Amino acid sequence: MRKCKCFTNLEHEEKWLNDMAGRGWRFVRKSLFSYEFHEAVPEVGRIKIDYRAFVKKEDFEDYRALFEDSGWKHIQGSKSSGYQYFKMVNDQGSEDIFSDADSKAGRYKRLSEMWFSISLSFFPIIVALMSTGTLKPAALLDPEALYLTPGLWEKTGVGFWRAFLFETPFALLRGLSAWLLPLVIMLYLIFAFKANRQYKRSQGEGLSD
Amino acid sequence: MGRDKYLPLTETVYYILLALHEPAHGYLILQKVEELSGGQVRMAAGTLYGAIENLIKLRFIEPVGTVDNRRKVYVITEEGRAVMFRDYERMNHMMEITRRIWNSDGREPHAEM
Repeated sequence: MRKCKCFTNLEHEEKWLNDMAGRGWRFVRKSLFSYEFHEAVPEVGRIKIDYRAFVKKEDFEDYRALFEDSGWKHIQGSKSSGYQYFKMVNDQGSEDIFSDADSKAGRYKRLSEMWFSISLSFFPIIVALMSTGTLKPAALLDPEALYLTPGLWEKTGVGFWRAFLFETPFALLRGLSAWLLPLVIMLYLIFAFKANRQYKRSQGEGLSD
Repeated sequence: MGRDKYLPLTETVYYILLALHEPAHGYLILQKVEELSGGQVRMAAGTLYGAIENLIKLRFIEPVGTVDNRRKVYVITEEGRAVMFRDYERMNHMMEITRRIWNSDGREPHAEM
């Protein structure tokens, strides 16, 4: 079974995955916003999420080995995916993958920095598109500029409507693509802001969740 | 003279540095810290990993090869030993001065507390 969901709060995501496990759906894979589950015997969910991206393969292996040794099986995530999913497989180990509030909050700090740097990386693209004239700032605010038919606005009657309606789908496309980048940047900045707020909040909290 | 910005070390950092007087990999550090602290400090994997990363950045510990090509082995550096010694002196002073005051007012609290 596949389910699409988008979380900005890691605790909520953990809880959802563990509730699914309790209802007999074992989490197998995640791709962007879609989670894949297999039917299984209902069990107490013991999934925890860390956020950490690695440059070197050795560091990623060392990291996974440490968790494995401590009774936490790495079930999802790659070297550079950032999101790392662990499942408790050994009752002897720790209750959580973090033992103090600071390090538990630290994952939100890394998450926030990632969203922020992604949104920053879009700015040079916007500047480049504007300087080559591909992206016109006017197109963001002036819908008429999206219509390129010569003399369109001087036409009247049926002639106007035919030309206007014919071009509208293209104009919408142009307008949408002009808005797309700023919207994506906004979205990532919101994610960054939310993660940072979560960081500040969980720093002040104890370990109970 | 300004105070040492690394002091005081946290309890976990102090025990990690103490554990790394001999080279050890991640899980061995967890076990040693628990043992050295008399079972008081039990670190989880995610917390230890972050601490190791931070201590490497501060150059208090360094990686020295791996076991089975997977688990990295770390050991304390000279800087690490130096900062530990300064923290040891700091704590030692606290204990000495505390004992002196307790002795002088003759009401030393005992283990029943």
